[in-house]
Amino acid sequence: MGGKITCTLGEVKNRADVIVYWGGNPAECHPRHFTKYTLTQKGKFVPEGRKGRTMVLVDIRETPSAKAADIVLQIRPGADFEMATSLRALIKGHRVDREAAEQTGLTLEQLQEFAGRLKGARFGVIFFGMGLSMTRGKHMNSGAILTLAAELNAFTKFVCMPMRGHGNVTGADVVLRWTTGYPFGVNLSRGFPRFNPGEFSTVDLLVRGDTDAALVLGADPGATMPEPAIEHLARIPTIVLDPKVTHTSHLARVHITTAATGISAPGTVYRMDEIPLPLRPALASPYPTDEEVIRRIRQAVTAQPAWVPAPQRA
Amino acid sequence: MNTLRITGGTVYDPANGIDGIVRDVCIADGQIVADVEAGRTINASGLIVFPGGVDVHTHVAGGALNFARGLVPELHRAARTFQHGAMPPAGGRAGAAGSLRRAGLGGVTPTTFATGYLYAGMGWTTVNEAAVPILTAKHTHEELHDTPIVDKSCLLLMANNEIVLDLLEAGEVERAQQVVGWLMWAAKVYGIKAVNPGGVAAWKWGRNARALHEPVEGYRRLTPAQIIAGLAGIVDQLDLPHPLHLHCNNLGIPGNVATTVETMQVLEGRRAHLAHLQFHAYDGEGWDSMRSGAVAVAEAFKAHPQLTADAGAVLFGDAVTITADGPWQHLLYQLTGRKWGNLDVENETGCGIVPYVYKDRSVVNAVQWAVGLELLLLVDDPWRIFLTTDHPNGGCFWRYPEIVQLLMDVEARRAQIRKLPPAAQQRIMLGDLDREYTLSEIAIITSAGPARALGLPQKGHLGVGADADVTIYPAKPDRDGCLFSYPRYVIKGGAIVVEEGDVVAVSDGREFVVRPVYDDGIEDYIRPLFEQVYTMSFENYPVEIGRLRRPALMTLAAKRR
Repeated sequence: MGGKITCTLGEVKNRADVIVYWGGNPAECHPRHFTKYTLTQKGKFVPEGRKGRTMVLVDIRETPSAKAADIVLQIRPGADFEMATSLRALIKGHRVDREAAEQTGLTLEQLQEFAGRLKGARFGVIFFGMGLSMTRGKHMNSGAILTLAAELNAFTKFVCMPMRGHGNVTGADVVLRWTTGYPFGVNLSRGFPRFNPGEFSTVDLLVRGDTDAALVLGADPGATMPEPAIEHLARIPTIVLDPKVTHTSHLARVHITTAATGISAPGTVYRMDEIPLPLRPALASPYPTDEEVIRRIRQAVTAQPAWVPAPQRA
Repeated sequence: MNTLRITGGTVYDPANGIDGIVRDVCIADGQIVADVEAGRTINASGLIVFPGGVDVHTHVAGGALNFARGLVPELHRAARTFQHGAMPPAGGRAGAAGSLRRAGLGGVTPTTFATGYLYAGMGWTTVNEAAVPILTAKHTHEELHDTPIVDKSCLLLMANNEIVLDLLEAGEVERAQQVVGWLMWAAKVYGIKAVNPGGVAAWKWGRNARALHEPVEGYRRLTPAQIIAGLAGIVDQLDLPHPLHLHCNNLGIPGNVATTVETMQVLEGRRAHLAHLQFHAYDGEGWDSMRSGAVAVAEAFKAHPQLTADAGAVLFGDAVTITADGPWQHLLYQLTGRKWGNLDVENETGCGIVPYVYKDRSVVNAVQWAVGLELLLLVDDPWRIFLTTDHPNGGCFWRYPEIVQLLMDVEARRAQIRKLPPAAQQRIMLGDLDREYTLSEIAIITSAGPARALGLPQKGHLGVGADADVTIYPAKPDRDGCLFSYPRYVIKGGAIVVEEGDVVAVSDGREFVVRPVYDDGIEDYIRPLFEQVYTMSFENYPVEIGRLRRPALMTLAAKRR
C-alpha cells in the first residue's frame, strides 16, 4: 500500500531536479506553477534554475504543456494504471514483459529509461492531474502513482502531489477533515459524520435524487456536473451564494450575491500543498460575506421549531 | 459573582502539600478563592478532588494531524461518534444558554470538537500541542480554536529550521537567538520543540542524523549535539517558561539508549524536557535482540535533575504514529508495509505518518509497552516524569485511565505480563517492580508536574489564585477496575462542563502565547533569506494576533546578561 508522500511547494523549488507532470496540463490550468514553484525558479540547492531540472510530461496527447517539457511520454488513453504498475516493477528490478509494457503505448526501453531517470533523481516529484484521477481506474490510478512515489524513497528522495482544482477546494478539504474526520462526501444526516464516496458525494446524491434542497457555495455545479444531477438541482429548491451569477444561479430558486473573498471579503485560502494564506480585501463591497449570510440563515433556522421531536433521554 | 463550593471531598493538591485531606474548595469568577458565601454547592462526600489534568505532550491540531485524519477513514468507522445537538439538560437544569455540542468522531485521531469533549470528559483541562511549523501555524491555531473547553498551548518546531541551522553552523548564536525569538512571535506559540535535531533536515535528502557528534547531512561542521546545546541555550537566554522540549535522535531504534544518555550529557547543566522517553529507551543491537533499556535511561535521567520527561507510554491496540521524524517513519513504513504519509515543509521541518497496531503478541510491541511503565515506575520523583502516550503515537489520550490503573496496581501489571510472549518477558524488568502509585503521585504526573514543567503557575493546583480547573472522581474504581475513566464533575474556569459523564456546557479555551524579547531589526536579516527559500510573500508569513480568538499573552522581560 502507498499513502501520500508529499511536501510543500518550496521544497520543490529548492531541491527538485526531476519534475514529472502526469495527466495534467499546467500550462493552461495552473499557468504560474512552472514559474513560481517548479521549473524556472532558482532554488537553494538548484542554483542554476531551469537548467538544473528535467521536466517529464506524461499524457495521452500533446498539450501546450509539452512545449515546456524536456521529455514527453505520450501514452495510450486509460493506460495510466498499467504504466505506474510497470514502473513500480522496473524500479525494483523485476522483469516486465515486453507485451505488457507496450500496452501503455510506450516501448519497454522507454519505460526502463524513465524508471532509471526517476531512480536517478536527487529529489524527484510527480504532480498528477485529473487526466489520471478522473479517468478509467480513478482512485486506483491515484493509488498506483502515490505508491510509486512512496516506493521510490527506497532509492532516493521522491514526493508526489495532486494538482488541485481552482478556488479553495483544498481549504474545504482541510476544514472538513478537522471538523468531521473526512475530506469530502460527508453525510451528517444522523447527527454525526459518515463517509462513503460514491454514495454520499454530491454528484451521486443529486443523480439519485436523494436531496430535497441544495445550498451551493463557491461552486458552479450547473456548469460542471452531469445532466441528471443538473436536472435534479433545477427540480428542488436550490440556493446559490456567489459574487456573480453562475450557470447554477439560473436554475436556482434563490441567488444571493455575496462579497468576493479576497477582493472585498477577508478569509483564508489553502494552497494545493495545504499552506494557509491570508486574504486581505482591497475594496469594500455592498454585499454581505458568505460567512455572514450563512450565519443569518443558521440563526433563522435555529429559531424554527425542530421538525422532529427531540430525542428523549432516559 | 459566579461562585461554587465543593464540599466534603477528599482533596489531592500535591503542589500545595495537600494529600488526601477532606476540605472545601471554593471558586469565584473562574479562580480558586479562600471562601465564598453563597452560590451553588457540590456535595463531594466520598469523592476525590483533583486539579484538572494537564497534558504536556500531545498532537491534537494542525497540518500533520489533519493529514493523519485523512489517511485513516477506515479507522474512523470504528470510532466513537459525537452527535450534533443542544446540550442535554443535566440535574434538572438546561445546559448553558446557546451552548451547542458539535458533531464529531473520537477514535485514534479525534476531530477538533470531539478532542475537547474527550479531554474534558476525562478530567483534563489543559493541553500542549507539541509540534507546529511556522508556515502552517495559522492552520494549527484555527484547529485549536475549534477545540473547545480545554486551555491550549503549542510548541514551535525548530531543530531543523535551515535558517537557524545555518546560523548555528556559522557560530552566530546571538543572531540565532534573535531569529528564534522573531519566529516564535511570528507563529504565536508558547515554546520551542526540537525533533530529531538535524535528522529532519537530512531527511530532505533521504538521510538521517544518527550520530550526535557527526556533521548533519548538508553541513560541514554542525552536529546534532551542537543544535541541541545551541537551542537549549537560546531557550534559557530567552527565559521561556517551558524549557527546550526535545525529541531525541534515533527514536524507536534498538540500542538508542546510548544516544539518549549522550543527549543528557550534551544538555549538562541546561534545562530541557525530554519528550516520550519510552521511545528512546531500547537496548539491543537490532529488532531481534531489542530489549528494555529503561534502567540505564532512568539512572542517567535521575543523575540530571534539571531535566523533566514525559512517558510516551504505549498501549496495545490501534494508533497512528505522527512525528516530524521523517526518516523513522520511512523505516516504519518499510517494516509494516502499511500506509505511509510524509509531508516535508520548506526550510522548517517535515512530518511522517504511519498507522500502526501495537500487538501484545509482538515481542517488540510488548517491550515497548513495558518500557513506558518501567520508566514511570523507576523514576521515583513524580515531579520529573509525566503521563503521556505521545498521542496518537503510543496510544490515544483518552486511554490514559488505563495507564493510571496499571501504575496503581501491581497485580494488574503482572496479569498483563503473563499474557506476553515468553521472549518478551525475558527482555523486560517490569515484573520486578513492586511500586504502586499513590493518588497523590497520580495527581502529580497528570497535573501538578506537567503544569510546573510548562511554567503555568495558575494550572495544576487548587491554591488560592489558581484557575478553577477541578476534576471530581468517584472514590471507587468502575467495573473495569479503572478509577479515572468517568469523572463525576469536571469544572473548567469555574464552570461545570462535565456532569455524571456528560458534557453539559461548552466553553472556548484560552491559548497561551509567549512574546519573547528580540530585536525588531532582525526582520531585515530574515526577510531576504525568506524570499530566497520560501514561496509566499513575507507579509503573509506571520500569524496576526487577531487570528487567535482567545489569546492569553505572556510578555517576557529582557533577561539580565
